[in-house]
Amino acid sequence: MSDIQKNERKLTIARGMAEAIAAEMRADSRVFVMGEDIAKLGGVYGNARGLLAEFGDQRVLDTPISETAFIGAGVGAASDGMRPIVELMFVDFFGVCMDAIYNLMAKNTYFSGGNVRVPMVLMTSTGGGYSDGGQHSQCLYGTFAHLPGMKVVCPSNAYDAKGLMTAAIRDDNPVVYMYHKSLQGMGWLGTEAGSVVEVPAAAYEVEIGKAAVVREGSDVTIVSLALGVHHALKAAVRLAEMGINAEVVDLRSLVPLDRETIFNSVRKTGRLLVIDEDYSSYGVTGEVIATVTERSINILKAAPRRVAYPDIPIPFARHMEQFALPNAEKVVRAVEEMMGACS
Amino acid sequence: MIDIVVPADRWDSDDQAVITVWLVQDGATVAAGDLVAEIMCVKTQHEIRSPSNGVLSIVATVDSVVSKGDVMARIAA
Amino acid sequence: MEPTIAQKLWMYETMLVSRFFEQSIERIYMEGKSPVFDMADGPIPGEMHISKGQEPCAVGVCAHLDSSDIVTAGHRLHHIAIAKGVDLKKMMAEIFGKESGLSGGRGGHMHIFDAAVNFSCSGIIAQGMGPAVGAALSRKMQCKPGVAVSFIGEGAANQGAFHEALNLAAVWKLPVIFVIEDNSWGISVSKSASTSVSRNDVRAASYGIPGHYVENNDPVEVFKVAGVAVARARAGEGPTLIEIQTTRLAGHFMGDTEDYWPTEERRRAKASDPIPRFHEQLLADGVLTATADEEIRYRAQALVDEAVVFARESNYSAPEAALEKVFV
Repeated sequence: MSDIQKNERKLTIARGMAEAIAAEMRADSRVFVMGEDIAKLGGVYGNARGLLAEFGDQRVLDTPISETAFIGAGVGAASDGMRPIVELMFVDFFGVCMDAIYNLMAKNTYFSGGNVRVPMVLMTSTGGGYSDGGQHSQCLYGTFAHLPGMKVVCPSNAYDAKGLMTAAIRDDNPVVYMYHKSLQGMGWLGTEAGSVVEVPAAAYEVEIGKAAVVREGSDVTIVSLALGVHHALKAAVRLAEMGINAEVVDLRSLVPLDRETIFNSVRKTGRLLVIDEDYSSYGVTGEVIATVTERSINILKAAPRRVAYPDIPIPFARHMEQFALPNAEKVVRAVEEMMGACS
Repeated sequence: MIDIVVPADRWDSDDQAVITVWLVQDGATVAAGDLVAEIMCVKTQHEIRSPSNGVLSIVATVDSVVSKGDVMARIAA
Repeated sequence: MEPTIAQKLWMYETMLVSRFFEQSIERIYMEGKSPVFDMADGPIPGEMHISKGQEPCAVGVCAHLDSSDIVTAGHRLHHIAIAKGVDLKKMMAEIFGKESGLSGGRGGHMHIFDAAVNFSCSGIIAQGMGPAVGAALSRKMQCKPGVAVSFIGEGAANQGAFHEALNLAAVWKLPVIFVIEDNSWGISVSKSASTSVSRNDVRAASYGIPGHYVENNDPVEVFKVAGVAVARARAGEGPTLIEIQTTRLAGHFMGDTEDYWPTEERRRAKASDPIPRFHEQLLADGVLTATADEEIRYRAQALVDEAVVFARESNYSAPEAALEKVFV
């Protein structure tokens, strides 16, 4: 990753998020954090570690299990000049509080003609693969990216995680910050090692709405986000052994979507594969493919492909869940087929 | 040479722990007190800090299972 | 705490402005929708929820608020907005969907936002309660004065958001007041058919906060109860729940034939119009004279007429303006 300065300290995504939040809380007294198990526990996923000790219980708040109330409260506080960071512990829980998110947080700015700002960050955990069942393992990227009025970011590594959190807090618009549980660095979940990277101690922003080419290549463009980026990179290593040179694009943001970077990459390679852990139909994979095909099909040497979660509720049994999940192996097979195919 | 060992005072039992993450590169220069790794015993994560200044060499890699007193890394002054 | 003469006259005049506003809206809404009623037709398309009869709830509470206090409301909101001091011309223009409206036409009747007086509303039942709690939290955190008031209907007291918001406000001891306008009907379902208690003020006890009930839609009674609640909030003593027995003189929405409401009951409810009653009271108390009343009515009607002219004469924005103001 060319953006990373050479630095000998590495962080997990959880620490990167907490570090960004702490820095912004030091710089701006309007920033505060609330959510379930955020204060005393430091967040179930470690992203609020150390905040209570440094900032106290007036700025780091444990909430009751009342998502509609406290996410709605986040909207009200943000509309009144504060800069809240609110956690929805599992993205799967959006069902109980979606009105506050998509009808209030996302629309109040528009409904007020731009006169009311909602500078709020809604951070939420995503992802499965550890047998937590169908109500605690979803990604739902498409659901949130689809609805207008909220920015959506999904870091794949600690450097981007810290930079995107800083940018999200400073943004005057509502930002949904979706972090994948397998990338957090929580030992009890099993962490993807590639997410633990060097992170500068000083504050910096990663631009929201800008994708990154994390591996350059010439034969196929593999686009992904969050955990999918790591599957893509592993697949790229195996493909290289087979003489196939893959370019990997890390979206980093879903809203705004960096369609230019996606298109330019496919224009170079001629082949597109999208890997996404969210449900296959009506989501990220379709959107990325349409981003290219609605602009030009002449640049394509093969039909675009997607490796995504099937349109099923997530099963509990380990073998079934692993069968359904996207992985590097599925990417390799799909690319092999694309390389053999004609346009 | 100073060893970073799995501490004896973080949990009561003789349960083993696993190295879950190294927060510095192998060969990095560290200062006393720097956070260098996290280990996990059962479900609880523990922070491991460097006892001194120097260059750190990793002995127990990520996912290694370790016992109290095992050497995790060495620091050359 | 009795309202002063000035406050009584303010309440009376504001109730009149509100009533004349609603009467104008009713008339204009039906333009282009007759003989065939198509909701999308006419200068005011869409849904319309008229607040005639509920004016005392708005003025009795807002008499204690200033522009820096925060108010959130629901889908039947014009009377509350007017009492809070929302710009009348810009609100009318917004209801017409004109560019000069509060939101350039992007919000309309159910999404009136006036940042200058901290007023907002949402069309989803009870969803304004969370933001009111948040605004109160914000003022407490910033050590800035201000109370938040959330206006809801009695139907909203059965939503999950109601219970969550009351609990959260109580646990964090926030300066927020929840005001229920009980007009007995959630569209066609009566309160007695939907609510497990006959008065929602008793629900306050579940959250350890005071609850008050105001009978008979009397602006002075609302004023007294609201005064206690606002003072309590300003003193940092926490939230209060108030339920006011009011009356919905029009149907739920414009076009509602109200067949669900037994005729005799309906007739009685509509006969208890709070404005003539207040008018009589003020005359009897010597607060109002016939001449002063004429002036007040003239002024109120003129304000509304001016707003209508402004709205009618304003232009629509270019259609492409729909794409703007999603993000700032």
